[in-house]
Formats: sequence, C-alpha cells, structure tokens
Amino acid sequence: MKHILDLTIAEIHEALLEGKVTPLDLTKEALRRCKENKDNAFEMIIEEDALKKADELSKMPVPKDNFFFGIPYVAKDNFSTKGYETTASSNILNGYIPLFDASVIKYLNEAGAIMIAKSTLDELAMGGTGTTGHKGITFNPWDKSHTRLVGGSSAGSAVSVSDAIVPFALGSDTGDSVRKPASYSGLVGFKPTWGLVSRFGLFPFAPSLDHVAYFTRSVFDAAIATSLLSRHDENDSTSSYKDRPNYLNLDSSVKGKKIAVIKGIINSITDKHVLNVFDKSVNFLEKNGAKVDYIDFNADLLKAIYPAYVVISCAEATSNDANLDGIKFGPNYGGKSYQEVMFNARTKGFSALIKRRFVIGSYALMRENQNEVFLRAQKARRLIVDACNKIFESYDAIYCPAAPSIAPFINKTSENVSEDFMIADNWLAIGNFGGYPSITLPIGFENDLPFGANLICKPFDEINLFNISLKIEEGTGLKNLSYPKYMEEKEAK
Amino acid sequence: MKSLNKEILKDAANRLLFDMNEDEYDTLLNEFDAIQRQLNLIGNIEGVDEAVPMTFPFDVTITYLRDDVPETPLTQEEVLRNAHDVKEGQIKLPKVVG
Repeated sequence: MKHILDLTIAEIHEALLEGKVTPLDLTKEALRRCKENKDNAFEMIIEEDALKKADELSKMPVPKDNFFFGIPYVAKDNFSTKGYETTASSNILNGYIPLFDASVIKYLNEAGAIMIAKSTLDELAMGGTGTTGHKGITFNPWDKSHTRLVGGSSAGSAVSVSDAIVPFALGSDTGDSVRKPASYSGLVGFKPTWGLVSRFGLFPFAPSLDHVAYFTRSVFDAAIATSLLSRHDENDSTSSYKDRPNYLNLDSSVKGKKIAVIKGIINSITDKHVLNVFDKSVNFLEKNGAKVDYIDFNADLLKAIYPAYVVISCAEATSNDANLDGIKFGPNYGGKSYQEVMFNARTKGFSALIKRRFVIGSYALMRENQNEVFLRAQKARRLIVDACNKIFESYDAIYCPAAPSIAPFINKTSENVSEDFMIADNWLAIGNFGGYPSITLPIGFENDLPFGANLICKPFDEINLFNISLKIEEGTGLKNLSYPKYMEEKEAK
Repeated sequence: MKSLNKEILKDAANRLLFDMNEDEYDTLLNEFDAIQRQLNLIGNIEGVDEAVPMTFPFDVTITYLRDDVPETPLTQEEVLRNAHDVKEGQIKLPKVVG
C-alpha cells in the first residue's frame, strides 16, 4: 500500500481516528493523483477550497461515528454545486454557476467530506459510453493504451474511484449509468431505491428513471454512503417518507436466501469466461446456504427493455431540458426574436447526438404517435416491472452478470441506436423501471480487465441487498479493488 | 403512426427549438430504421395494449403538507447572475411588440 488514501472509507476513517493521517494529508494526495490522471476524467479540479477545508478539518477532533469526515470525494458534473461551474459536459451550460448545492452535496459537505473535483460525463448524462462529453472521450484507467471505454454516463466518477484518486464518487443512474461503468472498472456501483436519496439539485434527465447513485470500493462503503445520504428531503417531491433502517447493521449470512438468475440474460452472453466466473460466484452462494434457481422470464419482455428505455428516457428528456434556452443561463448567440435566441442557443449548444435523442423523444410524443410509441413503451414498462415483482414474491434477489463482457474497445462502440445489442447489455434498466435497489460488484478479470455482476432486490430492501452482496464480495475476495493496487500486487507476485 | 421522412424529423426537431444539418438528419433517418424495428419488439408483447401505462416506479402518496417556514429568497442580483443580457434588473430579450 502506497498511501492511506488507497484504503476503503471505513479503513481511512480508522486511520483518521488513530491519528495516522489527517484530512489535509488525504486531500493533498488526492489532488496530486487527480492532476496526474490522464484519462480525461474531470471538468474541474477544486484545489484551493479543498485544501482550505481540509486544513480546517485537520485542526478538529475526528468524530467517531462520522465516516465521511475528512474523506476526499468527486461529484459528477450534473450535481449543482454552489459557486462552481456545472455544465453536465454540455456546451449549452458552459459558464453556468449554480446558486445552491444539491442536497447530497450539502449532506456530504456538512459531514466533512471534501469535494476535490467535478467529473466528466456523457453529455447531460444521456449516454452509456463516456465518449460524448464536451471535453471528449473519457478513458478506462485499467487500459493505459486508451483503447477501451470506462462506460457512462458517470465516466469520470468511475475513473476517480478505480484509479484510487478518491474512495467515493457521486454519479447518477437513469438506465445503468453507475452500475455498468462499475462493471467495466472493477468497482462497487450502487443505485438505491427510487425516492430513498434526494435528487434535489441533480440535473434531471428522465425523472421517472433518474436516481442518485455512487461508486465505492467495497459493499460496506456503499452502505456507509447510504447511511449518510438516505433521508427525506422536502425539496424533492418524490423523496420517500419511509423510516430508514440502520444500513450498517449488516449480516452476510445467506443461509435460506432465495436468489433468481434469469436464464434469458445468461443465454445472451457469449463470453464463456464471464459465464464461468459468474457460475463460481453462484456456487459460492449455494455452498453458503443460499438457494439459487435459474428461472424463465418472458423473452418478449426482455427484448423490450432497451426500446422501452430509449422511448421513455428520450421523451422525458425533451421536456426536462426545455429550460436550456440560452436566456436565463448558458451561452447566448443572439437572434431577432426570443424564439430565435432559444433556437440559436439550442442548435449551437447541443451536440449532434443529444439532438438525435431529443428528436426521438419529440417523435414519440407527437399526438399521432403517442399511443403507438410513448404509451406503449410505458405499458411495456408496467409488464416488465410486474414480471420482476412476481419474482420478488418468491425470491430475495435477482442476480446476473452486470455486462456481457469486459470494457469494450472505443472504436467498436457507437451511441447510435442499432439492433446490434444484447439483452445482457441493457437489462440493468429494469432496476430503474421498478425503482429497485441494485448493486454491481466485481467478480473477476479477463486479460487484467475487471468485470462485475449485479444484484437487484425489491424496493426499500437495501439491507437484504447489502447482506447478500457482502457474501459475494467475501467469495470473490475482490474488495477495495483499484487499478494501482491490482498492478502493485501483480508486480509483487 | 406517421410514416417517416426527413421533413417529419425536421418538424420534430423544430418543435423543440433547434435544427440539425443535413448529414445529421440522414444519420437520424438511418437510426430510425433500427428504432422502428425496436419499437415493433414492444408491439410483440402479448397483452401490451391492455396494460396500464407506468409513469413512476411505484406510487408515492403524499398526504402531508409541509409547514410554512419563512426563508430568505435569492437576491435579484443572484437570480440574474447567470443571464447573458441584463438591463435595469431584468433579462433583456429582443422586442416582441413594435
């Protein structure tokens, strides 16, 4: 281990309590790594304010039960941060400086976490590759030749944690935007139940699907973050009023747990190594007393996940992004009328890809298409969620590989809508359709590149999700995985 | 459903107050071939048209009215800080009348 910053949040907290390190030491090291990183992961590095806060915290006693005190972190650049430019990696928001903090940013800052950077994303979070932000392609830190994507849309946040710059990064997840990049970068990526964590101040993309989500390097760290961030927020009308349990009161025993593996997802994966490693993790769960069944799922519903997601998300995005007009904020290119001002701002401000997504949404919402396109997609969503809820009547969790392979090559990837897709590449969106808690965690490697599996439980069943995930993590031994640590251990062998 | 051509795509874009260049419309038209086939997959689901459209993951019933708590609003200067053109405390736009 090169630095205490390489540890998990729980371990760094112990080191802070024991006086082995200060928030200032951690922040200086995080900033140094941030500046050294070559993966195009950041919109902005926040050096001066981070060092100032770290210095102040270093003079204070470390609170015993506040895990986030003195922990450096990174936020995806679609969270409002008071006083710091926030563009969501889109030129239409260049120069926009929010007047308030998103609720989750506020909670983290109040706990004494130190924001050191804002990270890159697919423009307006509408992509899954990390290649479409206004600053160009974000690369996978596990591949120093820069030929593979890290995934998106929370690309820079994934880089920040997997390159051991910080132990925690905020992202957002509308289809799989944290859980898929987590698979490609060897991380834990967790999306809580819809309504559990406030979205106030998160730039909306498709609110019926949007979630705050986050990257950590251990399951327990994801539970720690949930303890801090999960609370009712009056500023978010969809924020849940339910009492929150103690997310740290966990028990990794899986004896008697029933887990469903969906055959249709497994059958769409051609990479035998991914399937073998996944089988091993299933066997480990079974050896520890879980009952795992490979179950059927209506094939037509599985095939409809992707198109239903495209239609619903693009349609919702068209209205949510109607406020991007170049008038109240963002670059203004002038015009003879206010409509022309908006027309010019949007024509010049959005990339070609985003415009195509909006046109799909606009088309779906045209009166003459609504029944056959938009409403039908919403109906398919209902049937898909009903089928999942039926599974949860008999099972604690659904468990499948998070992606069909390791991180794909950038030049073989396109954000264009095509038929060349696999069910296994898009199935994670069921977590957004049903608002289910869903976690990706690493299970293995292929050619020194990581891949993960994903676990989904019924709404508000986070404790069950964390408990089963802890057992999977115990079986793989892939806790606190990062590229630098992996290489260090490899060289030591 | 409307049969598709470039004019319809232009109309869809213009309704959202932006335009694309000809190459971009061509790319989108090609993309729509795939989209149409994808949409047919939704149509293949048995009983899809009888289902109730789902607008949120699950029902959230709020019966609670929050208390009126006085707050300090943003100042005029703050509200206008991100606007490009400001005159006499208001956002300036091209004339609408006369």
